[in-house]
Amino acid sequence: MKRRDFIKFFGGALLSGTTSAYAFRFLTTSILSNSSRDNPLPARKWGMVIDLNKCQSDCTECLTACRFENNVGFHDDNRWDVHWIRKVKLENQIGATVKEKDIVLLCNQCEHPPCAQVCPVQATYKREDGIVIVDHHRCVGCRYCMIACPYNARFFNFKDTHEWVNKDRPKRSHGVAESCNLCAHRLDVGKQPACVEACQNSGAGAIYVGNLNDQYSQVSRLIQGNSVKRIREDLGTDPKVYYLGL
Amino acid sequence: MDIKFESIEGKSFEYRVMMIVFAGFTVAGLLATWWVIQKGIWVTGMYSRAPWGLQIVMAVYYIGLSAGSLVISGLYGVFGKAEYKPFARIAVYIAMLFLIAGLLSIITDQGRMARIFIQPFVHFNLQSMFSINPILYIGHIFICLVYLWALFYEKKTLTKVVATLAFGWAFCVHTGTGAIFGFGARMLYESPLLPASFVAAAMASGTALMIIMIVMLFKLTNRIVDDELIIWLGRFLAICILVVLYFLLVENAYRAYVIELRHAAIFYLFGGYHSILFWVGLIIVGLVIPMAMLFNKRTGKTIRWIVLASSLVIFGVLCERYVIVLPGLMHPPELFPGMKITQSVFQEGIATYNISFLEVLQAVGVFGMIGFMFGWGLKFLKLLPTEARALR
Repeated sequence: MKRRDFIKFFGGALLSGTTSAYAFRFLTTSILSNSSRDNPLPARKWGMVIDLNKCQSDCTECLTACRFENNVGFHDDNRWDVHWIRKVKLENQIGATVKEKDIVLLCNQCEHPPCAQVCPVQATYKREDGIVIVDHHRCVGCRYCMIACPYNARFFNFKDTHEWVNKDRPKRSHGVAESCNLCAHRLDVGKQPACVEACQNSGAGAIYVGNLNDQYSQVSRLIQGNSVKRIREDLGTDPKVYYLGL
Repeated sequence: MDIKFESIEGKSFEYRVMMIVFAGFTVAGLLATWWVIQKGIWVTGMYSRAPWGLQIVMAVYYIGLSAGSLVISGLYGVFGKAEYKPFARIAVYIAMLFLIAGLLSIITDQGRMARIFIQPFVHFNLQSMFSINPILYIGHIFICLVYLWALFYEKKTLTKVVATLAFGWAFCVHTGTGAIFGFGARMLYESPLLPASFVAAAMASGTALMIIMIVMLFKLTNRIVDDELIIWLGRFLAICILVVLYFLLVENAYRAYVIELRHAAIFYLFGGYHSILFWVGLIIVGLVIPMAMLFNKRTGKTIRWIVLASSLVIFGVLCERYVIVLPGLMHPPELFPGMKITQSVFQEGIATYNISFLEVLQAVGVFGMIGFMFGWGLKFLKLLPTEARALR
């Protein structure tokens, strides 16, 4: 065999081998199966209800609890601060009357998350229990998810965090995007998310998290028995954070 | 028609100065990028509300500039204008370089640069424009390589096949690039017209770049090119400009008309310094003036005026890329229609963004890198024909 033929033969074999291996992998992972990841709680669909009538305007317990639980990056400069959960004051003017309301905003855990749709590396994905979560070891930091999120709920770790308050949770590294993941690590072991716990401890008890697939769960009963609203339902993202009194 | 191709000698003083300048740019860009990697992306001035900056603008701009090859190979490969074939080699080479520049700009913009070489290919996401586009870009670079090979070895059938393939692929490349924004959920992005207008703007800037390159290179290296060829390209450029203007008109008229989008349109057209870029940089200087020059009977047939018009178009399209990427980002998604957020721990409302020096250095660095590769190509590859004549 001549050298040229040899190169042609083996080059061709190598190329077709890699291509078909890739094609096979691609077909099996992204088309045939919806999720290739292990799922701890398949029968559940987590959802959140926030009762704004109980939420007190000067209280920021949930924000602080979230920051400490998840080591969220905070640099005292709101350009680069990360807010997994944030509180805003909303003004609604109807005629001459102005209504003001405090509202807590966080990742809406959409059923059809645009952030996961645009993630080029599938670092952001939706677990079967509905939680939208980021794989920090995979995220390349392209920030396309921040553009796609219609709720401004996604943040980027522009800087390294120096504080490492909760040693049980990873320190947030710079260069990756993130958002609230409903404290998935706590829900997985049967605990409530940090914000929910803090809100209950403060006496307000305005935030509830539970299984939407269970019609007797507290969140399901709150949703059934009250007039609830979700933010921008018209977008078709099917958010799973419900507001009472919005 | 036998065409002879010659490389340049590359020993002149000017050539050396050019190469040194490009090398300097590259070093500056590398240093800036190193600094950004060390410190994190925040040093470029980007922040939570303006997560994309100049690098993304430059990436889509560079990708657009690669369309010169689309036009040239389309002219002779698809529409059979054989007199443009002498420019094919240089057009394809430039296209390849600008695609590399686009990829480099995207790579240097990532939060975790090292991961970009593996993760997107291992965890491909069929639904993400950011996943599809790198495949399109890399595919186009490969097609350009095969195309160049076919051109250098005078493979007639292969050239024809690859030219057609490259033509179609380039359309996908520019449509895909437009879709990054057009398929986005922001008020000033979401638009089915955007991918199409990206193709038009890419063809305008690509043609303009080809005109400048051909005239400049042929003049500097004492080669002959018939004015007629350039004049025809100029006319083609004028038509591209018309199409771009038409798309801009329809898109902005739609936004201004639909009540839901009206305040976004007002922000876009009259809301800050990007509006000046839009009206002055893009519409007047970048499109209307060059179009007037090109359609004018006298200036449209003078090579100098055509080159001037082309330079203005190249500037105009840069402004266009800027006013697509940034105002769309700065205008916030509307969380509570009809209500106002008066207080927050975070910057709600309209964001601000300023280009930082580091970003400029990075952009210049990418340009320097491909400039250097271009100079290298001129010296070691037979890219330029000794003469290019119109068919009579």
